Amino acid sequence: MKKHKKNRNVAIIGIGQTSLSSHKEDQNQVEMVQEAVINALQDAHLTIDDIDCIVHGNMELFEMQFAPDLWHSLGTGAYGKDEYRITTGGTTGMTLVCAADNLVASGLYDTVLAIGLEKLQEGNTTGGITNMADPLWFRNLQTGALTGTTAAEMINEFGEERAKRAAMKYRIMMDKHAVLNPRAHRRFGLEYEQAEDLMANSPQLVGELRLIHMCSQSDGACAMIFTSEKKAGKGTGKPPVWIRDHIQGHREETIPNLFGAVKPEMTHHYCARKLYERNGITDPVAYFDVFEMYDPSAWWAMDWLREFFLLKGDEHIKMLERGDFDLDGKIPINPSGGVIASNPIGATAMLRPAEAALQIRGDAGPHQIKKEVRHALASGFGGTFWTALMILEKDLNW
Amino acid sequence: MAEYFGATVADIFNTMPERFKPEEAKDVDIVIGYEATGEGGGKWTATIKHGTLKVEKVEELKGCKTTIHADAEIFVGVTLGKITAIDALTSQKLRVVGDARLLMTLLPKIFVPFTVTPRKKAVSARAILATVESRFRPEKAEGVTMNIGYDLTGENGGQWTLMIKDGRCTVREGFAEDLAVKLIMDADVYAGMMLGTIDGASAFTSGQVRIEGDMMAAAATTKFFHKYVDPNAAEAEELICLRVTNSIDQRFASGPVMGRWFAGLKEKKFMANKCPECGRTQIPPREICAICRVRVHEFVELGPKGTVTNFDIVYFASPDPLTGAVRDTPYTPIYVVLDGASEQDAFAFELKKEDIDRIKVGAKVRPVWADKPTGSFRDVLYFELDR
Amino acid sequence: MAGKKVAICAVAQHKNEPDLWYKRFQGMLLDVLEDLQAQTGFDFNEDTGVNTIVSCSDDFFDARTISDNGVTDVLGGHYRAEEKMAQEGLNAVGYALAVILSGHSDLVLVMGHCKESQSESRNMISNLGFDPFYGRSVGLDYMNAAALQARAYMTKAGITDEHLARIVVRARQWAARNPYANAREILEEGRVMASPMVCDPIRQLHVYPVSDGAVGMLLASEERAKEFTDKPVWITGFANCMDSYFLGDRDLTGNVALKKAAERAYRKAGIKNPRKAIDVVEVMDAYAYQQPLWMEGLGFCEEGQGGRFIEEGGPGKYKVNLSGGMLAGNPVIISGLYRAAEAALQLRGEAGDRQAPDVKSAVAHSTTGAAGQFHSVLILEA
Repeated sequence: MKKHKKNRNVAIIGIGQTSLSSHKEDQNQVEMVQEAVINALQDAHLTIDDIDCIVHGNMELFEMQFAPDLWHSLGTGAYGKDEYRITTGGTTGMTLVCAADNLVASGLYDTVLAIGLEKLQEGNTTGGITNMADPLWFRNLQTGALTGTTAAEMINEFGEERAKRAAMKYRIMMDKHAVLNPRAHRRFGLEYEQAEDLMANSPQLVGELRLIHMCSQSDGACAMIFTSEKKAGKGTGKPPVWIRDHIQGHREETIPNLFGAVKPEMTHHYCARKLYERNGITDPVAYFDVFEMYDPSAWWAMDWLREFFLLKGDEHIKMLERGDFDLDGKIPINPSGGVIASNPIGATAMLRPAEAALQIRGDAGPHQIKKEVRHALASGFGGTFWTALMILEKDLNW
Repeated sequence: MAEYFGATVADIFNTMPERFKPEEAKDVDIVIGYEATGEGGGKWTATIKHGTLKVEKVEELKGCKTTIHADAEIFVGVTLGKITAIDALTSQKLRVVGDARLLMTLLPKIFVPFTVTPRKKAVSARAILATVESRFRPEKAEGVTMNIGYDLTGENGGQWTLMIKDGRCTVREGFAEDLAVKLIMDADVYAGMMLGTIDGASAFTSGQVRIEGDMMAAAATTKFFHKYVDPNAAEAEELICLRVTNSIDQRFASGPVMGRWFAGLKEKKFMANKCPECGRTQIPPREICAICRVRVHEFVELGPKGTVTNFDIVYFASPDPLTGAVRDTPYTPIYVVLDGASEQDAFAFELKKEDIDRIKVGAKVRPVWADKPTGSFRDVLYFELDR
Repeated sequence: MAGKKVAICAVAQHKNEPDLWYKRFQGMLLDVLEDLQAQTGFDFNEDTGVNTIVSCSDDFFDARTISDNGVTDVLGGHYRAEEKMAQEGLNAVGYALAVILSGHSDLVLVMGHCKESQSESRNMISNLGFDPFYGRSVGLDYMNAAALQARAYMTKAGITDEHLARIVVRARQWAARNPYANAREILEEGRVMASPMVCDPIRQLHVYPVSDGAVGMLLASEERAKEFTDKPVWITGFANCMDSYFLGDRDLTGNVALKKAAERAYRKAGIKNPRKAIDVVEVMDAYAYQQPLWMEGLGFCEEGQGGRFIEEGGPGKYKVNLSGGMLAGNPVIISGLYRAAEAALQLRGEAGDRQAPDVKSAVAHSTTGAAGQFHSVLILEA
């Protein structure tokens, strides 16, 4: 396997988010974009004149805005600058970070600002996702991103009681994290004592996928600023966070062949395996100090932790039961509250590395992990089981 | 009665008959029970039958098909859209026993949304005068020394003096000795002028305002102060949401590969194509095998029977993207490995409603075809258990 | 950046057609992919093959959320990185250049597709490219925005209806020699001038015809290019630039964005005087008046001298759009990819009947947005 090499190192030096909410009638798309951009610039102690290039992404059909970067340029500050617009569905936000990493590492640009956004309230999200399916076939069957098959499979593998408890414990843990994150959209104040009630009474969406398990629909934007090693730390207030490596893996369009009698290797597992291998990481659970995972539902999250950490059997469930994923656990998952709490689709996958970088900087806010964070993992998810995975580092020493 | 967001729970039910749209409820026959707990709560039933509505406050919720339960504040908040219904439902702060879909489907159809007209809070002359000192602009009143008297009559009235001296402005009750000018008017006229609802010049012309003393000095004073801003004005900010449906007609080509698939359906056959390298049977067929990255030419007929490998029971009322109509729930997409298919390649389709309770992984199923297939996805009505 | 570090090893074009009703875009892309593989022999091996694909398509034109999802397999993207350039396709080449220069991948496959014939109206789509509050409500689309620009530019640069007819006639003469062009019928000037006015001063034959197409390219690092070709085409410069959004805020005839994009691209390629340094030019002329306007922006014509440029045979002198250009028909989303493909063929000496002699350097241009809000410039060298 070819060892991954980079032309030059790339640092995250600015992070800006808007609040994430289901009601942003007080802002139009441009104003929301501008809020995130200004926050990122302030965080980096830069002005828009310091930015060489903008990378923009969101889903056109969610807001029904064609070539939205052209209008949004009023808020992104792209006027007179180079600009790219790159989208890959749910992984868009992470793809934008990968792209910014590539653009800076290439030497073509020194300082790049990436912006991911969505105003889901301005369109019909489930309808928009359903439009993903081939118009000739499957569009008639699809129900947005909702499926209960993972729940059914986990119940089959680990028993009904244990599987349902695990999914609900994960869900309540996410809410406990979200409550600490002032930017999170949904903060319910759930308690572990409510697990039984929620398992029995939360409305069913698809099979054992209940309303409480599923992510929100949010409006919001996230902007990040990247620069070269030479420029990082010069005149910026916050310490740089380094992008070590990233990988993306897409799948063919056909979904039903994920549910056949034998299963292919999941893209999550594939990407994790490849990424760790080329970076010499043999024990990801021991290596990483935090994982910001794109978790669209509690069931998927539980299932995917096994894939991303290359675990076997019920090890991931044991880890959850032991509290390893708690904020003060061995490897905290989603201190931000994750996607279950906030999901502005074009920004969602960017919030993962953004929140991971905040943890490394140590200034995430009330949801900061107490112990030092040196190595962080962040993932994106979208399409028909598409994955993007990224390693962030505190020190330039790998 | 406790108010939340400017309305009481009772307001919602009292306005129900006038918000009811009988023509939309012609085919509806349902009793809905409402329980709002906590202060200002209570129990109500709405009986909707063939275009009629009866709302009753009750002691006990009886004979209801669906009941809705929430704390009074949540109840009002969700009804007014101040609290997102889906969040309240997710966090169990709003509970629905029975069919939760009607919150999203039936109720918005048969009722005009409940709204409250914001009651404008009256601003008193006294409250406005209390802001005078903070609105003073010393840079505009350099070298000015002047006392201005206000004689405000009527219920909210009183007498005040604005004293400008040495770049400061102080307000005190009563009249000072040496007033440069005295303005006499009703207190409400003063408030109206400051809020901009009454035009000052017209008020003077019409005699609503009388000025005693140096009229020019009175006119000059306006520039000494920042404009008064109504603290309630923010609520009146114009936030407009445009509601637009965008649609562009499309004409999708099938190409020869999907064309073969539709031709097969016309003959009640499932035509998959088979990868020349790995042998997987792709259904519906694709131009290429994604795994081997080779063009796929050979077609094989699969099934029609098959074995269920997984299934979803969908309760969520999502719109049918082809028609926009809300689909009837529950419905069940099943994943089927058709006889003769490679084992990783399942085919997805909907199961017959009557079989939902009996579906299991491993069950044998068969397609039920339309009488006259036309070469579309409608040619298969559904799959059913094969017994 | 100047230097020969990243090469285009092969290009493949699907013929532009007015209505490929019998073909899915998946099938179009597969033809292109197979063409590229036949030329170069590349594969998708995990370690040595293509691991990164930069695609280009649009959710509105495909009428699909995540339009790249429908084509992942025919891009070779199964279990590989695939990133969709949701802009005009020339930017996919620019971004692929960055991916290779960054060290992340040494091979990148660029694949773009679009079927304009699928939608009821491309103007309905571009109407949705305006803000929902003002631009859409007053009925703007890319066509009538272009007409505003055309009127202003023709007045400033002394361009007449005859000039526009000459541009279209010349485009068709070259298109007739290009087997990938859509509209290849030779026209007389009179017929262009008699064609109906669709959006005054733009006539029907001044507008690029509705087109379906697909383009692919294989890009490789300097070290690996020789494995795939003995005629590498080097990317020595790329830049793009955004102008302001509201038409009323912009100088529609001043080429603000294009001048900056061109200047930055030339600087990267070490080009001081494009008139001397560049042998062939491919500009994205969606409307006839745009050809001289963009030539001004690219520095081949003095500002406001477009009329004289046509009179004096500027398009012939600088070998502009030997492919027939966009006036012969490309889908708007990937017109720049077609521009780059033609430039690459010219540099390789493989442009058939349209081959210019001794081509050492070329510029390919593209634009998106209303009246050219955004421009991209790519410099290629043999």
